[in-house]
Amino acid sequence: MTPKNYLYEMIRSELTWAVGDDHVQTNDADKLGHSIDYYWVPECWHDRGGKPTPPDFVVHPGTTKEVAEILKIANTHKIPVIPWGGGSGSQGGALPIYGGIVLDMKRMNKVLEIDPVSMTVTAEVGINTQHLEWEVEKAGYSTMHFPASIACATLGGFIAHRGTGVLSTKYGKIEDMIMSLEVVTPTGEIINTLPVPRHASGPALTELYLGSEGTLGVVTRAVMKIHPIPASRKFHAFLFETMHDAMTAGSKIMTSRLRPCVIRLYDETETAKLVKRVLGIDRKGAYLVFGFDGPEKIVDLELEEACAICAKTASEDLGTEAGQTWWDHRYKFFYPPYMFHMPQAFGTLDTVATFSNIEKVYWAMKNVVQDNFPQATFIGHFSHWYDWGCMLYARFIIDEPPKDPSEAIALYNRIWDMAIRAAIREGGVINEHHGVGLKLGRIMRDLYGPAFGVLESIKKTLDPNNIMNPGKMGFPGKGV
Amino acid sequence: MHIEKNLDVINACRFCFMCRHLDPVGNVTFREADTPRGRALICDRIRMDAANLSNADFIDTLYRGALSAANRFHCVSSYDETGLVLAARRDIVEASLAPVAVTALAKTLEKATFSVKGKGRVLYFGPTPELYKGCATLAGGDPGKALAVLGFEAASKKVFARFKKAVAASGCKTLVVAEPSAFEFLRGNVPGVKVVHCAEYLMDQGMKKTGARKAVYLESDFLKNYCGNPSAPRDLLAQAGYALIAFGTNTEESYAVGEGALVYDTLYPELAERLCQRVYTLAEGLAKTRFITASQTVKDTLKKYNPAFDVVTLEEAVSLSQA
Repeated sequence: MTPKNYLYEMIRSELTWAVGDDHVQTNDADKLGHSIDYYWVPECWHDRGGKPTPPDFVVHPGTTKEVAEILKIANTHKIPVIPWGGGSGSQGGALPIYGGIVLDMKRMNKVLEIDPVSMTVTAEVGINTQHLEWEVEKAGYSTMHFPASIACATLGGFIAHRGTGVLSTKYGKIEDMIMSLEVVTPTGEIINTLPVPRHASGPALTELYLGSEGTLGVVTRAVMKIHPIPASRKFHAFLFETMHDAMTAGSKIMTSRLRPCVIRLYDETETAKLVKRVLGIDRKGAYLVFGFDGPEKIVDLELEEACAICAKTASEDLGTEAGQTWWDHRYKFFYPPYMFHMPQAFGTLDTVATFSNIEKVYWAMKNVVQDNFPQATFIGHFSHWYDWGCMLYARFIIDEPPKDPSEAIALYNRIWDMAIRAAIREGGVINEHHGVGLKLGRIMRDLYGPAFGVLESIKKTLDPNNIMNPGKMGFPGKGV
Repeated sequence: MHIEKNLDVINACRFCFMCRHLDPVGNVTFREADTPRGRALICDRIRMDAANLSNADFIDTLYRGALSAANRFHCVSSYDETGLVLAARRDIVEASLAPVAVTALAKTLEKATFSVKGKGRVLYFGPTPELYKGCATLAGGDPGKALAVLGFEAASKKVFARFKKAVAASGCKTLVVAEPSAFEFLRGNVPGVKVVHCAEYLMDQGMKKTGARKAVYLESDFLKNYCGNPSAPRDLLAQAGYALIAFGTNTEESYAVGEGALVYDTLYPELAERLCQRVYTLAEGLAKTRFITASQTVKDTLKKYNPAFDVVTLEEAVSLSQA
C-alpha cells in the first residue's frame, strides 16, 4: 500500500475511528519493531543491511468489539491482518509479509476473573505470560505455564501456535490448559467456544483455533486452568554414557506411569557444549534431569522410583544439586550470549514422535545434516515427554554462513527441507510447540497428505477474502 | 558515534525479547518500539546508516524511554541497554538533532548554580535540611545528571564543575545526598569527598523506635538498578518503625514513574501520567497505607496526577515517625 494516497488515508481514518488516534501507529520506529520477529530470516536480513517488509499500520485494539471493527474494515478493503502478541515467535508467523495491518494485541492485557472454585483464570490474550503468572501467583495459584519465552510472549501467542512450557509433562501444553476461547471470526463476528473442553457436543471448536496462528480469526479472551502452588518440587540428574541409554531410562519413567513434571535429556554434543557452558556441569555423556512436584510424600516416593530406574544404567548419579541447578538456570540458555546469535545461522528442528520412532527421527535428522552440511553442527535435547513419546529439540548451527543474505537463507532453507522431510519419513511430526508460520508452510502438504485439503476448506469458508495472516501455515498468500 | 562503543549491547539486545516485560513505558504504550529490543533495533539502523539519526520517529522513541534499568538488572548477562540509549542521545545532541523541547529544557538546566549555607563537617544536598542538624547545606539545582541523561555531556560537565567548586568551598569531606539520581551521579566522582546516601547517614544517627505503621517502599530506579540495591533505605524505614509490605505483583518491575529519566514528567507528561495510573491502580485495596519513595521527583510526579495519593519521601517518612 502506498502511504499518503487516498486509499491509505481512508483506511487510516477508519482505523483511528475504530480504536482512537493513539492506538494506530504508522511511524518508522513501530514499523521497524514489527517487521522482525524471532525468526532467523528477518534477523539475517536486518543484520546484513536489508529491510524486512514492514506493516502499513500497527493497530492496538482495546476491546473485542474493536477487534471486530478492525476485521470488518480489513474485509471491506481486502487488506491483510496479522495478529501480533509478543513477537517472539521463531517461525515468522507474525511477520507482515504483505504489509497491511498488524493487530498488536498487547493492549488487551487484563485478568478478568480468577475462579478459585473451578480453578480457572479468565484473561484477555494480549497479556504477557509472565504478567499473567505474577497475577495468578498473587492470588495464591499458578498457571504452571513456564516456557522459556514466558517474559516475551503473550497468552494469545501460545494459543496461536500451541505453545508449551517447561512443566508440560505434568501440566500439559497450552491446548491442555485452555478451557474455552472468545474469538473474532475473519468477517467480524464475535463467538465463544463451549465452556468446558470435555463434551460430546460435536467436534471441539476450541481445538480449531488452538494452533491456527491467526489464519482463522483473532482469539481475544481465554479461560485457562490454574493450579495450587505445590508444596514441594524436587529435581535429580543422572549422566548416561550414551543418549540411547538415557532415552531408555526416560521412556521407562514415562511408560511406568510415574508423573514427573519435567524430564529433559541432552545428547552428548549438547551436554558437552551447552550444559557445560550454561550450567557449569562438565561431563562426557548424556545429561538427564527430571523433577516431580506436589505433596512432599508423593514427590519423594516418585523421585525414588525414577532414580531407581535411572540408577540401573546411568554412568553417574549427579544428585539433586545438579538437577536443581538446571531448574534455577532453565531460562539462561535463551539469553545472550548463551543463545546462538548472528552471524551464526541456526534453527530449531522441533519434532515430536513416539518412543518407538523418536531415536530414528533423531538419527535421520542428524545424519542428513552431518552428511550434507559439513559446516553445520547438530545438537539436540528431548524436552517435552508424554506417556507415548517425546519432543526432540534438535538444532543446527553454522558459525560462518555465507555473507550474502540470499545465499545464507537458501542454505538455511535447504537444511530445513532435508532435515524435516527425513524426520517425517521416520514418523516425526513437525512440530511440537513452535508452530508453522512462514518457515514451515511449504511442509504442511507433505505432513498432512490429503488431509491438508480439509484445513484449506475450513480456511476458505471462514476467511473468504483471505485477510487473516495470508501466506502462513501453508495457506495461500495475498490475492490468491 | 557513541553508540558504536556499545556494539555488544546492540548485538545482544536487537533480537532478544527476554526482558521486555519489564519496560515501564512499553507496559503502558504496548508499542514494540518501547522495548529494549525496539530501541536496540533503532540504534542498529542508525549504526548501519547515520542518516537514520535524523529520523524524528527514532529520536522521539529514544527520548521516550524511562531508563529504569530494570531490564539490565533482570538480564542474566547485564547487557546495558540503558547505556546504549544514553549513548544514542549523545549522538543526537552532538548532531544538533535534539527535539526542541529537550534543547529548551537543557538550556534551563545549564543555568543551575550552587551555594553553601551554614557550617559543619558534613555537607547535605537535598530538600530536607531541617533533618540534618549541625550540617552545612548545599542548595541548587541538578548537579549535571539530568543534562547527561539528555545527552548534553559538555554542558553537564560545566554544571558539575560548578557543583564541585561549591562543595570544595564548603570544606566538608562528607557529602550527604538525598535524591537517588544525584547520589548515583556523584558517588566516587567528587575528589576528596565521601558521598553517602541520606538513608545511610540517617541510619548512623539512630532512630527513635515508634509504633509499627504499614507502608510501601517504592524502590528507586537509581538505588536498586544503578547502585546495587543497597539495603539502607529499607533498614532505615524498619528502624523508624515502618512495616514494609509487598507492592504490585513482583519485585522486578519499576514503579518509579520515570525516575530513571529524571525529567520524564517535563518532557512526556502524558506518559508519566500513565506510569502513575499503573501505580494508583495497583494501590487500590491498600487504603491507609503510606507510600514512601527515596526520590522527591517520584513523589512530585505521583502527587501531580493524584494529589490525594499518600506518598512521602524517605526523609519525610523518617521525620514523621520521629515527630
